[in-house]
Amino acid sequence: LPTRPVDRDKAERALSENIKKATNAEEIAPKQKHVRNCIIYTWDYHSSQSIWTGLRVQPILNDEVQTFKALILVHKILQEGHPIVLREAQAQMGWFETCARTVGADSMRGYAPLIRAAVQYILQKLRFHRHHKEFNGMFEYEEYISLKNIDNPDEGYETIMDLMNLQDGIEQKQKLVFAHFRGAANNECRISSLVPLVKESYGIYKFLTSMLRAMHRRTDALDALEPLRGRYNTQHFALRRFYYECSNLKFLTTLINVPKLNHDPPNLFDSPDD
Amino acid sequence: MSIQNMSKSAVRVGKNYIKGYTDTQVKVRDATSNDPWGPSGTQMNELAQLSYNQNDFIEMMEIMDKRLNDKGKNWRHVFKTLTVLDYLLHAGSENVVIYFRDNMYVVKTLREFQYIDEGGKDQGANVRQKAKDITNLLQDDSRLRDERRGRTNMRDRMSGTSAP
Repeated sequence: LPTRPVDRDKAERALSENIKKATNAEEIAPKQKHVRNCIIYTWDYHSSQSIWTGLRVQPILNDEVQTFKALILVHKILQEGHPIVLREAQAQMGWFETCARTVGADSMRGYAPLIRAAVQYILQKLRFHRHHKEFNGMFEYEEYISLKNIDNPDEGYETIMDLMNLQDGIEQKQKLVFAHFRGAANNECRISSLVPLVKESYGIYKFLTSMLRAMHRRTDALDALEPLRGRYNTQHFALRRFYYECSNLKFLTTLINVPKLNHDPPNLFDSPDD
Repeated sequence: MSIQNMSKSAVRVGKNYIKGYTDTQVKVRDATSNDPWGPSGTQMNELAQLSYNQNDFIEMMEIMDKRLNDKGKNWRHVFKTLTVLDYLLHAGSENVVIYFRDNMYVVKTLREFQYIDEGGKDQGANVRQKAKDITNLLQDDSRLRDERRGRTNMRDRMSGTSAP
């Protein structure tokens, strides 16, 4: 299937090794090289089944750090893996719920609320993708347009509302992560869960900007768009603050470039294409 | 050339022999080695020309794929392979474009490549930036066309094969 020089047996063995290493009990960020190999696997074989199986055979749920790392891993695979992952993940609701239920009162290191929030957000994301199959995991506008084949934003009102709900979900989750930093302790593992949130929120933000601009170009009923503009502006300021706080986390800025938003929200009446 | 680098290249020559790499593959390996200097224009140009031959092309992709998936400590392998890839996308055969569009995720996922060396220097940053640039180029078909056309024109003009 893949055009790359690969070997399926070897790939399966490597995959379970990568899952194991990405979700080990060390309280650090899941190593990107292991995450990346899992992502590449889904593109090579257009499947994520072995990943879900792999997550089940590892003793992940016995340990809150491992569970948390598994959810970071899953989030990244949902974002950057082959589109089939978003579909196959729909059948994994039970596993996610088990993750949230299993972390009990003995959450010594304080990951229980973070795990529950992560599960809640992933389920919200999966529901979104179930209803909007044309979106990829990172909400890239270009791919959306090429899939829809036409630049028709008129049907977009509801889609925009759904995207904005998702953006609010990210906002809630990131706030919780920040609230659970531990003073002197090593926050690396918690911080690394912000990486997919930064990327996803920025994807949604750019998507919303393009889509809202297109709608403003097309419609005469500009008043009807007022509620969307208001909410967009609110989200702009929240995101700006989120990115600002992220840019002060030294560990995070060695992992990704954190976007920097202008003080004022972009003018939606402007066409950026000129 | 330091003693250390000399012995490293000697090892590379040995590996090339033992692993049975072809001449083309050896050229890719040399251009994307751990030596602390970049692939030369001559090397990259030669690889670009070789990419027009189907056999050489396949052999090249095999090595480039390995290099791109190398570990953090070998960040230079990854970085230089991206450098060569950038060149090939501009001046190599259309097959390079097709192959890396198909396998874009190999490059795309390098946008989070990480490696901090013993001195605490973030060597991954170079790889991340290059991976980002190449991903953008691969996703922008018209820009890629333009740049490829521009390159051909320039080469033709410089070699004097096109009419003035």
